[in-house]
Amino acid sequence: MFDNLLTVMIFGPLVTGLVLLLLPLSSAIARFAGAFVSIICALLGVKLFADFSPATSVAFHQSYPVIPSLGINYSIGVDGISILVLLVAVILIPMVFLLFKEKQKGYYANLMVAQGAMVGAIAARDVIMFYMFWEIMLLPIFFMIGLYGGERRVAATIKITVYTIAGSLLMFASIVYLAIMYQSQTGVWSFAMDSLTSLQLTGTGATLAFIGFMVAFAIKIPLFPFHTWLPDAYTEAPTGTTFVLSAIMAKIGVYAVIRFVVPVFEESFVRFALILAFSGVIGMMYCGIAALVQKDFKRMLAFSSASHMGIIALGIFCMNLQALTGTLFQIVAHATSTGVLFLLLGIIEERMETRNIDDLGGVAYRAPLFAACFAVAMLASVGLPGTSGFIGEFLIILGAIKFNILIGVLAGTTLIIGVCYMLWLFQRVFFEKQNKRTEQFRDLSLLETITIVPVILLIIFMGLYPQPFIERIKPAAEQYTLILTDRAEIADHTISETIAK
Amino acid sequence: MEQSTPYLGFIPLLPLAGALVLGLMHIATCQGKRIPDKLYGILGCIGPFIALILAVKVFFELKALDEGKRVLLQRVYNWIEVGDLKISMGFLADPLSSLMLLFVTFVGFLIHLYSIGYMAGDKNFGKFFAYLNLFLASMLLLVLGDGPVVMFVGWEGVGLCSYLLISFYSEDPANVVAGNKAFIVNRIGDLGFVLGISFLFWGIGADGFDYISLEASATNLNPTLGLTVCLLLFVGATGKSAQIPLYVWLPDAMAGPTPVSALIHAATMVTAGVYMIARFSFLYVQVPLAGEIIAWVGILTALLAAIFGMYQRDIKKILAYSTVSQLGYMFAAVGLTAYSAGIFHVFTHAFFKALLFLGAGSVIHALHHEQDIWKMGGLKKKLPVTYWTMLFGALALAGCPLFSGFFSKDEILYSALAHGHGAIWFIGLIVAGITAYYTFRMFFVVFHGKPADQSLYDKAHESPPVMTVPLVILAVGAVFAGFLNLPHLFGGHLMVSHWLSPSLVEHHPDPTLALELLAVGGSIVAFVIGVSIAYRKFGTKAQEPVYRGFHKFAENKFMVDELFGALIVTPYRYLSQGISRIIEPWVTDGPLKSMALLYRLSGLAFKVFQVGLVRVYAIYMVLGLSIMSFLLIKTLNL
Amino acid sequence: MIHNYLTLSVILFCLGILGVISRRNVFIVFMAIELMLNAANLGFVTLSRLHLSMDGHVLALMVMAVAAAEAALALAVVILLHKHKGKLDTDVFNLLKG
Repeated sequence: MFDNLLTVMIFGPLVTGLVLLLLPLSSAIARFAGAFVSIICALLGVKLFADFSPATSVAFHQSYPVIPSLGINYSIGVDGISILVLLVAVILIPMVFLLFKEKQKGYYANLMVAQGAMVGAIAARDVIMFYMFWEIMLLPIFFMIGLYGGERRVAATIKITVYTIAGSLLMFASIVYLAIMYQSQTGVWSFAMDSLTSLQLTGTGATLAFIGFMVAFAIKIPLFPFHTWLPDAYTEAPTGTTFVLSAIMAKIGVYAVIRFVVPVFEESFVRFALILAFSGVIGMMYCGIAALVQKDFKRMLAFSSASHMGIIALGIFCMNLQALTGTLFQIVAHATSTGVLFLLLGIIEERMETRNIDDLGGVAYRAPLFAACFAVAMLASVGLPGTSGFIGEFLIILGAIKFNILIGVLAGTTLIIGVCYMLWLFQRVFFEKQNKRTEQFRDLSLLETITIVPVILLIIFMGLYPQPFIERIKPAAEQYTLILTDRAEIADHTISETIAK
Repeated sequence: MEQSTPYLGFIPLLPLAGALVLGLMHIATCQGKRIPDKLYGILGCIGPFIALILAVKVFFELKALDEGKRVLLQRVYNWIEVGDLKISMGFLADPLSSLMLLFVTFVGFLIHLYSIGYMAGDKNFGKFFAYLNLFLASMLLLVLGDGPVVMFVGWEGVGLCSYLLISFYSEDPANVVAGNKAFIVNRIGDLGFVLGISFLFWGIGADGFDYISLEASATNLNPTLGLTVCLLLFVGATGKSAQIPLYVWLPDAMAGPTPVSALIHAATMVTAGVYMIARFSFLYVQVPLAGEIIAWVGILTALLAAIFGMYQRDIKKILAYSTVSQLGYMFAAVGLTAYSAGIFHVFTHAFFKALLFLGAGSVIHALHHEQDIWKMGGLKKKLPVTYWTMLFGALALAGCPLFSGFFSKDEILYSALAHGHGAIWFIGLIVAGITAYYTFRMFFVVFHGKPADQSLYDKAHESPPVMTVPLVILAVGAVFAGFLNLPHLFGGHLMVSHWLSPSLVEHHPDPTLALELLAVGGSIVAFVIGVSIAYRKFGTKAQEPVYRGFHKFAENKFMVDELFGALIVTPYRYLSQGISRIIEPWVTDGPLKSMALLYRLSGLAFKVFQVGLVRVYAIYMVLGLSIMSFLLIKTLNL
Repeated sequence: MIHNYLTLSVILFCLGILGVISRRNVFIVFMAIELMLNAANLGFVTLSRLHLSMDGHVLALMVMAVAAAEAALALAVVILLHKHKGKLDTDVFNLLKG
C-alpha cells in the first residue's frame, strides 16, 4: 500500500468525490466521508514527508504508459521542490471539512475532487498529466463559487474560470510546442519532465512558449497585474473555497513556475527575471496598500493574500539559493498563516453573519482563545520572528538584495505595509468596544480548537525550528539555483562580449 | 563547540515558559471563575527571579575567567542553514551582555513585584503578567543572542510586547492607536535593521553570521557597504530607541499601564538601540562618518525632547520626553565611539528612570489615575516614601553631583569634549540644564505647594509595601550606581568601563585634567541653574502658566505629529483609497474589462447576420460554397 | 455529348438553389431541395457512365433512398410547423433571429 501512496492520495479523493456526487446522500454523511478520506490522506502525507529523504532524485516515483505512441505516461513522484507543497495540500484540507457546515453535499464532493486534482498536479512528472490535473482543479472551484458563493457569485466565477482557462490554453499551446521541439530534436515523442529539461530552446518560439507558461502561472499565483480576478473570487467564494484557493491553489502556481518554467526555459527565465521580480514586488506593494481601506473583512484578507503571493513569487525570480529556499518555505508558512486567518474569518461570518469590519469590535473579550489564534496567525502573516512567516520573508528579502538592491529594499517594505492594515484590522475587530452582535460571540468549540490549534503550533514550530523543512528542500533548491546561476553567468559573458565587440 | 554553558538558554526560556503558562491560564479562566491574583503574581515573578539568579551566576562565572577570554557560549541548535547563511540559535554572554543581563533582570524583577500592587484588581491581571513575562523573555533574547538575527527575534519580540502592553486597556481606541503607532514606527526602523543585516551578510557573513565571526572578518568589509550597513542599523536603532525622526511613538506609548512605561519605555527596551550599536562597535569604529551622524542625531534628539519636556502637563509624558532626551545622550556617546560611557548611562538611567516612573505610578495610583500635574500638588505629606524616593530619582536625572546620573552624563559630556566635539558638548550642557529644570518643575508641582484639587488630595494614600519596596531598592541604585564607574578625577577606577572593554572596540583619548574639570564644572553649573529656575518658578506656589507664541508651539510639540499625519498617514490612506476605488477597477482591471466589452460588442456586430430566415441562411451557404469552390479551382489550377 | 448531361445537371441544381432562396412556401422549398438532389443524381449517373463504373449508380440509388426517408421526416415536420403557427411561410419561423 505504501508504494502506491501518491496514487492513493490522488485517486482516493477523486473517486470519493465522484461517488459522493452520484449517490443520494445527506450532506452530513458527505461531510463525514470527506473528513475521513481527507484525514487519511493527511496522515499519508505526513508519513510521506517523514519518509522523504533529502536528495535531488525523485522519490515515490511511479510510471505507467498511457498513450505510448505519443510518449504520454501516468508518471508521478515527489522531490524537494514538491514535498512541502504536497504537505500543505493534504494537511490543510481536513480543516475545511471539520470547521464548516454546508447544506449541500455537492460542496464536499467538489472539495474532494479539488483535493485529488491538486495532489495530482503537484505530483505529476509528465506535462500532460500535469495539464490534465491543472484543468480538473478548476472545475470544482467553478462549481463551488458558482453554486454556493455570495451574492455576486456568478460574475466572480465566470471571471476566474474564463481568465484561468485563457491562461491554461496558452500553456497548452506551449506544451505542444515543447513536444514538437523534442520530437524534432530527438526523433521520439515525450512529455516527461525529465526529458523536456534537456531541450535546447532558442529563438522567438522559445520565448513565446515561455510566455505561454508564465502567463498561465502568473494568473494562477496571481502575479501583478493578472490578479484582478482574485479579490472578487476570494470574496464571493464560500470561505472553505477561499481557503483552498489562497492556501493551496495559489501555491501550486508558484510551484509550477519552479517546476516547469525554471528548468525548461532557463534562458528566457534569466532574461525576464528582472521584469518578473518587479512585477512581484509591485504586486506586493499594490495589493498591500489597497488592503488598508477595505471594509469587507474577507476582501482585505484577499488583498493581503495577493500581496504576500507577490513576495513569494519574487523569491523565484531572484535566482539564488536563499531566495528560492525562502519561497519554498514561505509556501508552507503563508498557507498555514493565511489559511488560519481565512478559517477564523469563516467562523466569524458563520456566527455573526457579517463580514463588515465596522460591525465588529471587542471580539477578544468574549473569545480570548479565538483572538489568540488569530493574533498568532496575523503575526506570522506580517513576518514576526519566532513564527514561520519570518524565516521565509527574511530569506526572500536577503536573496532579493543580492539579486537587485532596489528590489530588495522594496521587498523589505512588506514589513511595514503588512502591519499597517493588519493592526488596524485587529484593532477594529478584536479591540475597542463590544456591540450587540459581538457580545453573543462564542469562543472556539472543542472541535474547532483541536482543528486550529495544531496549525497554530505548526506556525510557531516552523518559526523556531525550521531546519527539518529546509533540509528536505535544500538539495533540490541547490540544483535549481545552479541551473540558473550557470545560465546567468553565460548571459553575462555574452553581454560583456557583445559590449567588447 | 566553544565553552558551552548549558544554562544560558534558560535565562530567556524561563520567562517565556512563564508567559505561556500564565497566558493559557488566563485564556482558560477569564470567562469563568477567576484564579486569585496572588497566584498569577507569584507565577509571574518566578521566571524573572530565576533569570536574575542565573544572570548573577553568569556574571561571576565571567569574572572568574581571564580578562581576554570572558566569553560564554551556548549554541542550542542550527536554526537556519541555507547555503552560506548559517545561523544557530545561540546565546553569548560576554561582559557587555552580562551587564545588560544583570540590570534587565534586576529591574525587570522589581517591576514585576511592583506590578502586583499596581495592577491589583484589574480584570486582566493574568494577561498583564503573561505579556510582561513575554517581554522579559524577548528582551533577554535580544541581549543574549549570539548574532544579529537572533537579536532580531528579541528585537521584534519586544516591539510586539510593547504593542500589546500599550494597547492593554484596549476598550479605548486611543490606546490601541498608540499601540499601533508604536508597532508601525518600530517596524519602519526594523526595515532598516533587516536591510542592514542583509547587506552585512552579503558583505562578510559567509564565514559565520554571529558576532564573533563577524568581528573577525569586519576588516574585510568594503567602506561604502560598511557605511550603508552602519546607517541602516542606526535606522533600526532610531525606531526602537525613539530618536529623530522616529521618536514620535514613545510619548504616545504612555497609554500603557505605568509599570510598562517603567520597564519597557524607560529602562530596557528603548535602550536596545544603544546596546545594538555597542554590540556592533567593531563596525562603527571603522566608519567614523556614521558615528558622527549618530552623535548629531542623538544630541539633537536630546535637545528637542528636552524642549518638549518643559511644556508637558502629563506626568508620564514629561518622563517620556526625558527618556527620549536621555536616549539622545546615549546615542551621542556611542556615536563618538565612547561606547562604555553610553552603556554606563544606559545602566544608571535604568535605575533612576524606572524609579521615577514607578514613583509616578505610585502617585497616579494614589490619585486614582489622575496624570495631570496641575491637578496635583502638596503630595509630600500624603506620600512620604514616594516623595523621598522620587527626590533621589529626580536628583539623579537632573545630574546632581554624586548621584548616579551625574557621573554617567558627565562621562558622556567629557568624551564629547575629549573627542574634540565642542558643539556637541555645548548642546549637551544646555540639555543638562533644561533637564534639571523640567525634572524639578514636575517635582515641585507634584509634591510641593498647595493641593490643586482638594477632593483628589483627600483621597490620596500611600501605596502598599509591594510597591514601595521596589521604589526604595531602586532609589538605592539610583544614588549609588554611579560610584561603580567613578572616574580618575574623583579617585575611582572606571570599573564599568574596564569590565566592558573586552566586548567593545573603542578609543580612549588620553585624559587631561583641564578638560575633565571643564566637563565637571559645566555639568554642575547647568544643574544649579536649571534647578534654581525651577525653584523660583514652582518651588513654593505653583500656578499653571498660559503658554503663548513659541511656548505654545513647543507645548504642541512643534506640530511634528500633525506634520507626519499630513505628509505620510493621510496621503497613504488616500493612496489606498485611490488604488482600491479607481486604479484597481479601472486601470488594472481595465484590459480585462475592455476585453469582455469587446467580446460583447463583436457579438452585437455578428448578430446582424443572424436574421432568422431560412432563405438567407441558404444564401450564406451558397455564397460560402461558391467562394470555397472558387478557391479550390484557383489553387488546383483547374 | 456527355457535357450536355452535366450542363443539365448544373442547370437543375441552380434552379433548385434559386427555388430554396426565393420561395417562401415550405413545400416549394422542399421541392426545390428535391430538385437539387435529383440534379446531383443526374451528375452521378452521367459520371458513372463516363468512367464505366457502377459506383455512381449505387450512389444515385443511395441518394434516392435518403431522399425518400427525408421526405417522410420532412413532411412530418411540416405538419407540426403548420399546427404550430397555422402557416407554411418560412419567414414566420424566425426564432433564430439574433
